[in-house]
Amino acid sequence: MAEVHVIGQIMGATGFSESSLFCKWGIHTGAAWKLLSGIREGQTQVDTPQVGDMAYWSHPIDLHFATKGLQGWPRLHLQVWSQDSFGRCQLAGYGFCHVPSSPGTHQLDCPTWRPLGSWREQLARAFVGGGPQLLHGDAIYSGADRYRLHTAAGGTVHLELGLLLRHFDRYGVEC
Amino acid sequence: MAAAGPSVFLLMVNGQVESAQFPEYDDLYCKYCFVYGQDWAPTAGLEEGISQITSKSRDVRQALVWNFPIDVTFKSTNPYGWPQIVLSVYGPDVFGNDVVRGYGAVHLPFSPGRHKRTIPMFVPESTSKLQKFTSWFMGRRPEYTDPKVVAQGEGREVTRVRSQGFVTLLFNVVTKDMRKLGYDTGPSDTQGVPGPSPPPGLPL
Repeated sequence: MAEVHVIGQIMGATGFSESSLFCKWGIHTGAAWKLLSGIREGQTQVDTPQVGDMAYWSHPIDLHFATKGLQGWPRLHLQVWSQDSFGRCQLAGYGFCHVPSSPGTHQLDCPTWRPLGSWREQLARAFVGGGPQLLHGDAIYSGADRYRLHTAAGGTVHLELGLLLRHFDRYGVEC
Repeated sequence: MAAAGPSVFLLMVNGQVESAQFPEYDDLYCKYCFVYGQDWAPTAGLEEGISQITSKSRDVRQALVWNFPIDVTFKSTNPYGWPQIVLSVYGPDVFGNDVVRGYGAVHLPFSPGRHKRTIPMFVPESTSKLQKFTSWFMGRRPEYTDPKVVAQGEGREVTRVRSQGFVTLLFNVVTKDMRKLGYDTGPSDTQGVPGPSPPPGLPL
């Protein structure tokens, strides 16, 4: 079986209007993939930047997959939330990106979006906070029911992911 | 059927903790240590170090330079648990106590070659204003009991931090027998040149 190691960090995020941000992340793979070691999901710390406007998490990712096929290449899905001084959390954006498929270190910029509600909900979000959220997280990384959504752009999440492949050349796969 | 090949690969990393940028703080020193998984063991070199105390240069650069050497070799059977270097930066506060100015961590690069990494440094933050004032006054800031926590992903969801500086590191990486064991580490990433991606600020 071929093996894939994903070793890297969720560096941080820029471009969000709120400043105390954290990110919930997870990795989704197809049926042919098996996670041998590592934690498939997690949540970063809450960072309030002092210098500049980029929130830094430096959250380590270390995953070891074994795979029998190329379908269902791992996808990283992210939810960025902001936390205010009272401890309330508000959604800032959803995003996903595929784990790169060529070995080496990659800098990734993942754009995010958040669902817009009706004009009433948008007004309420501006004054009181809150706002619509997805009920099922799989809309973040699947295209299936997206046509129902009306969204606005959030900021960008920056990741540095390194990929180590093993035995792919045995199976004739060029990456 | 296959000839007996190596079962262990080696990772040799040398380099330096080059410099730091902390706009608000001066007279800093740093400590480094390595965090790695169960399949890894250091075979040569130093696993920890404490640097000298450096002050900002008087010119316009305001540079904090350590130029502190790193030299370590690891052996392993499995890339899972790839070593990370954990840095902690300390400096004096207004009353002269040594307080923590930042923690940061990064994985050692795995493609052979020369790499430059600039990592953000953050400190844990007290939640209430009263606690912030008391810790400033008493000189006992919130800090991690074990800096190695910074290299882990679990348990971070309850911490609030403030990022307040950067440290630049340079690495030269040499590996042995990774290709023989079937691992493909990709092209040598000289100088940490990023792959194709639009520069920040441009519309995607």
